[in-house]
Parts: sequence; C-alpha cells; structure tokens
Amino acid sequence: MKHLRAVNHKARRIEEQIENDVVALQGPPAAGQRPHVPMGCAIVFSPGWEVDSSGGTAGLCQPVERDLYDCYISCYWPAQVPDHMNNYPDWTAKCAAATKDWRNVDLVFP
Amino acid sequence: MKILFAITAAAISTVAAQGTLFVGTWPHTIVVVDEAKQKVVDHIELQTGVSHSMQISDDYKTIYASTIEKNGIEVIDVATRKVTNAFVLDEGGKKMRFSAWAPDPSGKLIYMIVRPIDKKIDRFEVGKTQFAVVDLAQKKIVKFVDMPGGEDAATGGGRGGSLRFSPDGKYLYRMGGAITIYDTSDFKVVDTIELSQPQFPGMQTVNLSQQLDGLQEPGMLVSLFNSSDPVIHKQIFGIARFDLDKRTFHFTPIGPAVPSMQGLHITPDRKTGYTVTTSGTPGNKRSEFWVIDVPTGKVIRTQEFDGRARYTFGMSSTGKDLYIYGAGYDVEVFDPVTLKLRSTIDLQADQTTGMIVVPGK
Repeated sequence: MKHLRAVNHKARRIEEQIENDVVALQGPPAAGQRPHVPMGCAIVFSPGWEVDSSGGTAGLCQPVERDLYDCYISCYWPAQVPDHMNNYPDWTAKCAAATKDWRNVDLVFP
Repeated sequence: MKILFAITAAAISTVAAQGTLFVGTWPHTIVVVDEAKQKVVDHIELQTGVSHSMQISDDYKTIYASTIEKNGIEVIDVATRKVTNAFVLDEGGKKMRFSAWAPDPSGKLIYMIVRPIDKKIDRFEVGKTQFAVVDLAQKKIVKFVDMPGGEDAATGGGRGGSLRFSPDGKYLYRMGGAITIYDTSDFKVVDTIELSQPQFPGMQTVNLSQQLDGLQEPGMLVSLFNSSDPVIHKQIFGIARFDLDKRTFHFTPIGPAVPSMQGLHITPDRKTGYTVTTSGTPGNKRSEFWVIDVPTGKVIRTQEFDGRARYTFGMSSTGKDLYIYGAGYDVEVFDPVTLKLRSTIDLQADQTTGMIVVPGK
C-alpha cells in the first residue's frame, strides 16, 4: 500500500481510513500489533481468497465455501468475491449451497 | 447469593409439542423445518431478495424479515407460511441501510435505525444516522427523527437488532452500553439506565450480550452479561433479566468470564440454561457447551464439541435439542443430556439469517 498513491476523491477517502499497512500472511504479528484487514468487497488481493482475524487461514470455515455468502452478501468480512451489493447481484443465483454447488457459481468479468 | 429469578405464570408449558423452525437461506428463501421430523417441510420464497435478519411477533403469528439488496421488508404469516406484504425502502440511487429494527406491538409499524446512502456519479455520500418509522400499510418510511443526543448515541445497534418495545408500545428501548428509553410518540428520551452503575457490590461495568435468549417471556429480556469489579478487574459473567414494563434489572452472577459466549437458552421449565463458549485463537478455537442450573445459578457441566469456524447456537422449542448452525447448509443437532452430536438437518441451501423457533401447540 505504501507504493500506491491516491489520485481521486474516493481513493483519498479510502486512504484516510487506513491507518496501518496490510500485514496478512507476512508472518506472525509483533506483540501488540493486529493484522489490518481493510473492510469491503474484493479490495484484499493477498494472500488469496480470505484471511482470518489473525492474518492466517487456519481459522477460516472448512471448507471455505461455507463462508461464501457472508463475504458476498454483507461484505462483513473482506474476501476476493464479486460485489453483490452494487455490481454482481446474480453471481450465485444458481447456487443454493456453495459447498455442494460451487460449480454453478457464475463467472464475472470486471 | 440470592437468586433473583422469578418463575412467571407465563412460562411455556413443559409438555408443549415440538415446534417449527424458520431459517433464511440463499438465494431468497426461508426454509421451514419440522422439529419432530427434523426435515425441511416447506419453502417461503421472498420477493425482495436475500433475507438478512428476521424477527417474530410476541404472539408468534407473524415473522418480519429484512432483505439486503434494496433494504426490503417482508411480512410472513406463520400459519399459512405466505408472504403477506413485501416492499423495499431504497429509491433509485438512494439506499436506506438499516441496522437495528423492531416491529411495534400493533404490527403496523417498524422502527429502525437507518443511515441513508446516496449514490453519486463517483462516490457514495453517507448520511447521518437517524431513527425511521416504517408504515407497513403505506410501504414506506413515514417519519425520520434525528438521534437524540447526536449520532454518537446510535452505537450499539448491531446485527440482529437491539431495539425492543414495551408491551404497550409506548416506549422504545435501545440496548447499547446503556439502555435508552424513548417515547414512541415524539422520540424524546424519557429515561436512561446506565449499566455501569453498580447493581450489586463489586459490579463496575456491565455489557449485555448482543444475542438474546431465544425463549423470552413476554415483556422480559433475558441475556448473558459480563462484569468486572473495580479493584482487581476480575471478569465475571452472569444472567441479566430486564423487565420491559417495570424497567427493572435483575442480575445473577455465575462465574469467571470466558473470551466469547453465545446466547443463553433456557428450557421451557426454566430450570436449565445452555450457552456455548469459545476460547483460543482462530486456528485453535475450543468450543464448549455450558449447562447452567438456573435455580442455583451454577455451571453444572461443560462439554467440548467440534465447533465449526463460525456458528450460531440455538435450542428447540421443547429444550430437547440443541442446535449449532450458520456458515453452511446444515444444522447440527446435539442431545442436551449427553451434549453429543445426535443428527444433522440438511437445509439444502446456505443459511443467511438466524433461526426463528415457533413453539408447537
């Protein structure tokens, strides 16, 4: 994030919201430091699909498809999923149970 | 310590028949589960999108569901399992994002805490947090009221709602760090109950659990609470009961607090309570059932179980089944005596809301 520069109003507002750098899976956090995971859909691109509150993946749902809808619907937890609220409302319209039906999840092209 | 629970005449019968579960699922369906058969017996298709939260009227006849895409409200008749009213609050590019909400006792209005979000050409402009009153007949917001005390007073809403009405509908209670009581006619604050005020010797701070008991008595809220003493700051937990009519609190401290506790569920005979605790880091999380003897206020048993990474705890209408559900398509059914997994209910769709438990007749 240190190498990115905000060039418009929206980006500057995001920048104002971010106090710490993103740490994710760079290693165990130092004492007193918590991983900073910015909120919102699809703005976290490392390490991949999703991280847990400690910056790792051990605490995620097993399998991860169990957690698909809370990331997709409510943007409660950041994950690399399409944006349901604004741009891709039908991404999983043909997929009732993601663990079983994940092949029916649609493709999206940003 | 003297036990402050009062067993009311309104307690649910101990011989009630098994009831019905209503769970919001993907993509826009509420599945109906027969507790006796432990199978999905019906589906209610919503008209405005994915259900995000649900509430039930005090008489168990009406379910209110919120949907997320366009901030919709749907009203469902429990007996016929039909949607009787459905509408959205969004208007064009203006979204009416609401958090805490509650239907009033008359069933005609819904009170909510709303934050309007206006979509501009390059950004969203987020408005101020306000109270809003929705008229279900007119299918729209009919009144906005600024939060008394400013927007900072709006904290404590949270998912699942923390607004409740007095039984006569004249007062609205907002549960946060304090309980703020509003007159529903003009939204003036008529009273504030500071939970930080000592309720018994040694109690300094009190935080009520976001998740309230699934088997409430009419006019009464039952919740877990955490507290710490002012000297060595030892954390304890207990059971809190708040009378919505008399505005009185009763606390029963039970024992040392743990990092996380789910809601308290009490059997229909009011003798046994169950909760679920979690401790440890995400990858090494330990989940336990705690069984509480309500008359003595003591934890009488704990049992570790294989909890999924994220879940919600519930109990059947008869108290004969404990449910672990959420984050997936299934509901795990545990035996309340052995605290072992007994069976699994396949909902055939991923869950998007908490569970509404309607007692049998």
